[in-house]
Amino acid sequence: MTTATRQRRARKYYTLLKAVVYRDLLVWVRYPVNAALGLFMGVFFFGLMFYGGTLVAGQAISDTIEGLIVGYFLWTLSIGAYSGITNDVRSEASWGTLERHYTTPFGFGPVILAKGLAIVFRTFLTSSVVLALMLLMTGTSLDLNFLTVVPVASLAIASALGLGLAMGGLGVLYKRIGNVVNLLQFAFIGLISAPVFDLWWAKFLPLAQGSAMLQEAMTEGVRLWEFEPAALAILVGTAALYLGVGYAVFGLTTRRARKLGVLGDY
Amino acid sequence: MLDETQDAESDRESAGDGDSPATGATDSTTPTPANSTATTKSASEDFDEAALSVQGLSKTFGSGEDAVTAVDDISFSVAPGEVIGLLGPNGAGKTTTIKSILGLILPDEGEVNVRGIDVYDRPRQAYEHVDAMLEGARNDYWRLTVRENLRYFAAVRGQDPDALADRHDELLDALDLAEKADTAVRDLSRGMKQKVSLASVLAGSVSVAFLDEPTLGLDVESSLTLRRELVRLAEERGLTLVISSHDMEVVEDVCDRVVIMSEGRIVADDTVENLLAGFETQGYRITARNLDEAALADLHERFDLSAVDRTGGRTRFEVAADTAAFYRLTDALERHGVELDGVDTVQPDLAEAFVEMTAAGGGRVAEAGPELQGGESR
Repeated sequence: MTTATRQRRARKYYTLLKAVVYRDLLVWVRYPVNAALGLFMGVFFFGLMFYGGTLVAGQAISDTIEGLIVGYFLWTLSIGAYSGITNDVRSEASWGTLERHYTTPFGFGPVILAKGLAIVFRTFLTSSVVLALMLLMTGTSLDLNFLTVVPVASLAIASALGLGLAMGGLGVLYKRIGNVVNLLQFAFIGLISAPVFDLWWAKFLPLAQGSAMLQEAMTEGVRLWEFEPAALAILVGTAALYLGVGYAVFGLTTRRARKLGVLGDY
Repeated sequence: MLDETQDAESDRESAGDGDSPATGATDSTTPTPANSTATTKSASEDFDEAALSVQGLSKTFGSGEDAVTAVDDISFSVAPGEVIGLLGPNGAGKTTTIKSILGLILPDEGEVNVRGIDVYDRPRQAYEHVDAMLEGARNDYWRLTVRENLRYFAAVRGQDPDALADRHDELLDALDLAEKADTAVRDLSRGMKQKVSLASVLAGSVSVAFLDEPTLGLDVESSLTLRRELVRLAEERGLTLVISSHDMEVVEDVCDRVVIMSEGRIVADDTVENLLAGFETQGYRITARNLDEAALADLHERFDLSAVDRTGGRTRFEVAADTAAFYRLTDALERHGVELDGVDTVQPDLAEAFVEMTAAGGGRVAEAGPELQGGESR
């Protein structure tokens, strides 16, 4: 492939990504009540935990507040990525636009991945607002090194995105799987708080390694380049594994849906 | 970065695979007029230069006793700039055909080429030339404005929407959408939404477009505007259109050729004129005086009378008859002392032809002979 061809192709992918991100943000702001409620509920539940916990446990909550904030931040990020892509696929099917994305010159996979990136980008924006409000509410400060937090959090939620892709694919095939999709969100709490230092295998679970590293980065000020190479490798490896598996499941389920003729049905 | 080899993903299903016994379900001994040798040969001959060619496409859903053959070994081709109408009653297999052509449904058998590119072997290259309006007014994002939809759907085809701004303005003008360009689609009427869907399909500079019921829900004026625009796009831009519709006026106005499906098979494939020619002079509308009950009963017995209306001293009726039968009828009327007030040839329209052709799986076509089976692929 010539350089010119590569550049032309890169431009096309950039055009795709830009359009998908822009559309995602536009649709988000054009459901303003939903967008505002999402932010409000994110802060509201944290407020319930924080003030309720302070009343009941007093100092114990204050001592662990940093960890709680980081965990909650990652949870909102992962929920946003996971349910964002799952709901997006289901919404596209109900809107009648899913099949149009299938018949693009990029293929379905790259378009869906672009959507995933758009959702991650938007989720970072909204979760950052929630994070800022949590810090204000609790009077806490965290180390927010951009070059560390963004890559670690992104790699952490890549596994959630993979799970979302898999569930989105299953949704295309089986349609009404909303209950399972919603239940899995609560499993994320367990994954984020998984004892990766006590159970060696726990760090290979989705979100777990990223959560531990994000805690270190945001509460202890550890920089990206200061992490153990093995820890970084596990973070990258689990991100690639779960995203890859989710993408493969999405591919298989949509192929099955095409065979059954139910790709665009809702 | 994806390379060319990755693009060449093969989607073809193997015959008899999995839960679909489609291959076995296709009975090669069953007479399928439009899949006659003439048709297949014609499609093959045009294979290389066709904008779209379909060969031996079959799809069966389910298995065992529940198996339903939605598309049964169909073949046709469409020339660049040609507009074809895909007609058929509900359940005839039109949508399955279109979705199979696009790869949205995996067929059990068959080959589809868009501008010479195999859709199942090289879908991404093929999709550079194709877009489809499959869900009518549901084809767009209703929270986005009209223009935003056009820009988005151009961009997801890898085309820079800024570079296409003039083309989008032209499209909006042509479809009377310019004033609504910055209005959210959800605030538009159903007819306007339908037009936005069409505009967004054409926004990405495709050369082949599939339109499923493009005029559904449009008022008369909007329908006319859209028809004019479709004809213009085909003539001026060489856009190839495959239109699935129940609106016979649209098909007669816009389409160069009609492919009629029934029970998953093509029962006719020809120009509108040729299809109608097969039904011409087959019937007469007769107005007569002094036709009494006895004479009418006699005529009923001997001829295929219909639409009999007796008002005052006049009787109107239609009779299906070839030339010889018509002369026998006039002789009979004379013998009964009936005065003829008028004799008109019943001009068939496409709707009547369609109903006859799709009745009983297209048996009428088999009677009509090869001229209706068409196979003409321009």
